Amino acid sequence: MQRRDGLKLLAATALCAPAVTRAAHAADRFATYRGTTIVVNWPAHPHYDAAIPFVVEFTKQTGIKVEIDKMQYMRMHDKQLLEMSKPQSDYDLITILGMWKTEYVKKDLLAPLGPMMKNADLADPDYDLADVVPAYLNNIGAVGGPKGYLAGPGAELYALPFGTETSVLAYRADILDSLGLQPPATYDELLAMLDPIHDKAKIGAVTSRGQSGHQATHAFLLHLNPLGGQFFDENWNVEFNGPAGVKAVETLKRFVETGPAGIPSYGFGEMENAFLLGQSALYLDTIAVFGGVKNPAKSKVDGKVRYALHPKGARYSAESGGFGIAIPKRSANQEAAFLFMQWITSKSLDVAIAKAGGVAMRNSTLDDAGVLAMYPEYKLLKQQLVYTDADWRPMIPEFGEIDEQVLGLRVSEALIGSKTPKQALDESATAVAAIMKRGGYLKT
Amino acid sequence: MARVGAFKSMVNRSAPYMLAGPAVLVIGFGCLYPTLLALRLGMEQWSLGTPWSSATYVGLSAFGLALTDPVVLHSFGVTLAFAAVVVGCEMLLGTALALLLEQPMRGMAVFRTIFIAPMMVAPIVVGMMWRYLFDTQYGFANYLIGLVGIGPQTWLGDPVLAFAAIVLSDVWQWTPFVLIMVLAGLQNIDQSALEAARIDGATPLQAILRVKLPMLASVLVVTALMRLIDAFRVLEVIYALTFGGPGNATEVLPVLIYKTAFVSQKLGTASAISVLLLLVVSALSVAALAISNPMRDGRR
Repeated sequence: MQRRDGLKLLAATALCAPAVTRAAHAADRFATYRGTTIVVNWPAHPHYDAAIPFVVEFTKQTGIKVEIDKMQYMRMHDKQLLEMSKPQSDYDLITILGMWKTEYVKKDLLAPLGPMMKNADLADPDYDLADVVPAYLNNIGAVGGPKGYLAGPGAELYALPFGTETSVLAYRADILDSLGLQPPATYDELLAMLDPIHDKAKIGAVTSRGQSGHQATHAFLLHLNPLGGQFFDENWNVEFNGPAGVKAVETLKRFVETGPAGIPSYGFGEMENAFLLGQSALYLDTIAVFGGVKNPAKSKVDGKVRYALHPKGARYSAESGGFGIAIPKRSANQEAAFLFMQWITSKSLDVAIAKAGGVAMRNSTLDDAGVLAMYPEYKLLKQQLVYTDADWRPMIPEFGEIDEQVLGLRVSEALIGSKTPKQALDESATAVAAIMKRGGYLKT
Repeated sequence: MARVGAFKSMVNRSAPYMLAGPAVLVIGFGCLYPTLLALRLGMEQWSLGTPWSSATYVGLSAFGLALTDPVVLHSFGVTLAFAAVVVGCEMLLGTALALLLEQPMRGMAVFRTIFIAPMMVAPIVVGMMWRYLFDTQYGFANYLIGLVGIGPQTWLGDPVLAFAAIVLSDVWQWTPFVLIMVLAGLQNIDQSALEAARIDGATPLQAILRVKLPMLASVLVVTALMRLIDAFRVLEVIYALTFGGPGNATEVLPVLIYKTAFVSQKLGTASAISVLLLLVVSALSVAALAISNPMRDGRR
């Protein structure tokens, strides 16, 4: 264990004192499962890295052992499907991206959380579900409802947010100041400052994801919604290849031209690293960067970064979603997994993990004086959450194929110049329409 | 007596089948069963995580679709180009190194061990290692070209450079295989032929081109075919290095099969493409056996 991990553990122990007290009251809740080992599938991600030291504390308090299977997050889906398809799942708790939830539920692979939350033997009376930021709960946990993937009549909760994301703009105040530039409030202002930053400051302007597949789709959708576009209309007809979509791809192409070298090969890690290593002046992506900037092992830009709202295009908007944790239906340890899930997403742990460099997902944490003292940027997050749109991507079961093999491929081709933005989007639209017909969404 | 003789004759005739039978059954089951299962799966549309009873029978349509789908055809083209380039480079380099390392020199055993080390590294590790080496921000490749005044390149974000990257990683790992095969072949060359060439006044280059390489011909052809078969099946390195990108510039057939099965959840289509790939690889294997079948000499 490194010194840093040791310090995190000490902090975890101190911060968990209230939870210790509550744990004493809830001894019966955990007693049945003492000695049980649960297997948890977690991603290599800053939030989860920040949470790992607290897992030891959970075992100390409850006697439930936690074995973590950590992997690159885009590779979790295949592994999870294989594990959850077995008569008995080897995983007791999995980390999901919001876009996987409907597929898993359609295949009857996840346990609904409602019954466990209502079970007095398991439920923590202090657990405040209403405190969780609704956009996160809606985006990551809800399945059903009128659209099938958001809250509403008929929706059920299948996952709890953990490692949430909202897009914000991070910028190097020192560089913008030296060029006499103000942080961009709109996409027009943002696009206008790309060349001056690139040419005069001799640094990449905006870092961005761009790797073929999911990362390219994510980058595209990050801009589609603020620029006034949407993926489908109300009747599931493709809309993303309209003028807003073309502008979104053109914006990405400008980022490639003026940004740090290598954007077409960047996943989230490379994209964030470019900013943290001082190779770009602007970062427009998830709030995971809050902790990254302050992490001396990763960042060369601590003290030079300020934050602003995701710039306005045709409207203010920001992505909201990220990761959540869910329980496989065929897990033999569902109850123990639920106890862990409930504990790690409780109010006190949300504060503790946020202080350790993770991200907050509860309103109470966003108002916590201790968290705000360490991360004043959470004030901005609260403002940004007003503008988030939970429906910025259609999380239907077919989205995985659209994301990785259709849109992600074509947008990537546009970024490397083998297709024009319009051509890439029109080809994608045709392929997506075929998928939607196959899925029964479109009749003709 | 006649009956006993007939019985003995029958036992003698059937002995080879009885001895080889169990092994043939085990190998047949081990090889044929998964192949037949893949064929069967190719006729169904089934998504992982759902009960098999939910699979829909689609007959041979997935095979027809795989043969005409532009995505599959593109991927086949990438696979062919990849296989041709890597096998060509590996054969040239491996043979040249073998000819060099064949000479008796002090410490040659150490050199040979070092040269074959890459082959022992797990392919997924090779992929990760080269991903870091080709990283635009802090990769060693950009550092090296920077020494000669060339600016940083987007190795894995440019279609041509990404293709070069997957070729380089494969050549790095599998040239040692060619080296070992050719070295073994060189050690079996009849020294009297080389001696005769020297007496006839052949230069070292002439001895290589006119004596050694012709005598190595069957080893070289079989080695090339074995590498070709492997090149058609390469997955792990490209999975870790580019995952088929940028766009689909490095999407070889095994990567496409993986994505079709696990991303698009079309296991039937993925199986159909796998069967087509199997046919190509089988044809290459038959060619390899036709050129140098170890059983052939025994039959003569």
